[in-house]
Amino acid sequence: MEKYMDADKRMTAAEAVGRFVNNGESFVFANCLYSMPLALTHELIRQRKKNLMAFQQGGIEEIDQLILSRVIDRVVMAYNFRAGGPRIVTPLDRAIKEGQVVVEEMTNHTLLSMMKAGAMGYPFLPVLPGIKVTDVVQQKGFLGDQRFAGIKDPFTGRDMLVVKGYNPDFALMHVQRADKAGNGQLWGAMINSKWAALAAKKVILSCEEIVDTDVIMSSPHLTIVPSHKVCAVVHCPWGAHPSEVLGHYDYDFPFRALFFGFCANPDAATMWFDEWVHGVADRQEYIEKYVRKFGRDTLEAFRARPFKSVPADYGSTFSLEWDERGYSKSMGMNMEEFVAMLDGKGALIDGN
Amino acid sequence: MATKYTIQELIVSRAAKELKDREFVVIGQGIAMAAGVLARKTHAPNAVILTEAGLLGIDPFKVPLHIADPTCTRGFTYSCDMIDIFTTILNQGYVDVTFLGVGQIDRYGNMNSSYLGEPGNYATRMTGAGGAPEFIGYAGRAILTMSGGTFVEKLDYFTSPGYLDGGESRYAAGMPEGSGPSVLITTRGVFMFDKVTKEMYLAGLHPGVTVDDIRAEVPWDLKIADRLETTPAPTEEEIAILRNFAPDVTMGRKLQLEVVMKQVFNLLSKGA
Repeated sequence: MEKYMDADKRMTAAEAVGRFVNNGESFVFANCLYSMPLALTHELIRQRKKNLMAFQQGGIEEIDQLILSRVIDRVVMAYNFRAGGPRIVTPLDRAIKEGQVVVEEMTNHTLLSMMKAGAMGYPFLPVLPGIKVTDVVQQKGFLGDQRFAGIKDPFTGRDMLVVKGYNPDFALMHVQRADKAGNGQLWGAMINSKWAALAAKKVILSCEEIVDTDVIMSSPHLTIVPSHKVCAVVHCPWGAHPSEVLGHYDYDFPFRALFFGFCANPDAATMWFDEWVHGVADRQEYIEKYVRKFGRDTLEAFRARPFKSVPADYGSTFSLEWDERGYSKSMGMNMEEFVAMLDGKGALIDGN
Repeated sequence: MATKYTIQELIVSRAAKELKDREFVVIGQGIAMAAGVLARKTHAPNAVILTEAGLLGIDPFKVPLHIADPTCTRGFTYSCDMIDIFTTILNQGYVDVTFLGVGQIDRYGNMNSSYLGEPGNYATRMTGAGGAPEFIGYAGRAILTMSGGTFVEKLDYFTSPGYLDGGESRYAAGMPEGSGPSVLITTRGVFMFDKVTKEMYLAGLHPGVTVDDIRAEVPWDLKIADRLETTPAPTEEEIAILRNFAPDVTMGRKLQLEVVMKQVFNLLSKGA
């Protein structure tokens, strides 16, 4: 795996997707339902990326958006929200029927285990075997045999079910805060984020807020992805709208429903994309458009009120081995006595 | 005169009675979450609600939009991830109960939440498996609710394991002894599973429903319990809790869609 060591990886979403995404690659959403990287997703659409393969744990609108704009042609998925009952034909239904997209069905546990195995550098991982009787295992999609296999537990001889590890080419991820180098911090619903981000060969990270590295240093338990995995950091307030981000905003239900209203037929969907994706340069313009169209009050109504976590105290005595008088409490001597002790014991080498 | 109730309120109130105090219950959104919260607010205050997104010990003040919605609760006691939930929690036997909604179900409680139509040429992709197969596979028991789903002789797609072919077949396939669906609550009645054959039978009727109404919906020769319970109407207290906590669930999906569409028109009229 390549290490990304630049101290400052800040760039625009357009630059990040332009530099790090190639047609035909595989990617994973390193969020699921919560804090969705929708600004980055829209950038894939805006740049008209093609033939991508998505690993999608669970989602609401992003798969329909990528299908309608013909960005993806393969999806490995466990759950996708369905607007309306079985009589409604969704973009996903239509795309499967017309062969525009092929789908590999997984469960939440087995799909994320594929990512966890990939993240750990293991070829496969055991999963709960009860599902081997179901069509999820029995019916094979475009990955064929490269998903599930049966093996024997080498210690007990019992039958086990395993999944193959995968390393997607990149991950899209949205978090509350990150430093310039890309140490990304997420809280709320951890769901698939850690394993999806660590499985990917690189992470394109967007965040609500850029913070000093000091903030990261005092709260490392919140770091979900370390900077060496991150190739780009995109400062992007409202970057997950209309999904929710704790400490920033709740989900915007009417705006979501508006999209699902438009995607009932493909021509209307084109109008939605022209307005909210191609008609704006980036997320900032999208939000400005939202405010112009629906009013600032409509947007501000979703703004989170604070509910602060009690800070963890990472304090210690911060005392040096040698205090200000040159005395070591742990050894009970000063520097002069220490050197004399080394000399007396014959531990010092005369290199001359 | 008793307070009038909606069919969703009846289902939620009946489902809530299945949860015991101090149990661990995995829940998604909608009817199932409303039932879990109602139980906690009435007879099961120490039940622990968790979702597969890694939220354990949530105390929801509104019905979450989805399993990873942390805006429904002011904090929670344990923040872990989805792998942790399926392995360190579920696989270690801590999950007593799972609530699941049903798309298609057969006589042994096997379920489909993936595809509708002819195999190989499906018309509809439903939500997909999500966490259902493992939860029904490994939780102590499963409480099923169905509104809008169907009984079928053969599933269009086999997503989640109930009692497989009945008898001991589920346990022979490796799922924990004693686990499996314990009850199914639909818009018309309550169904349970025979202790030996594991075949579903009718155990109770909602007020005003007849056995013939039920038979009309079930394509096989359904067995009927000797004594049928009548589902008790939700109490005033339960109705008040539900309308405050979960008005979306109370009104059901069809009315909810109407209300949402009205909100969308309001949004659009701001833009006009």
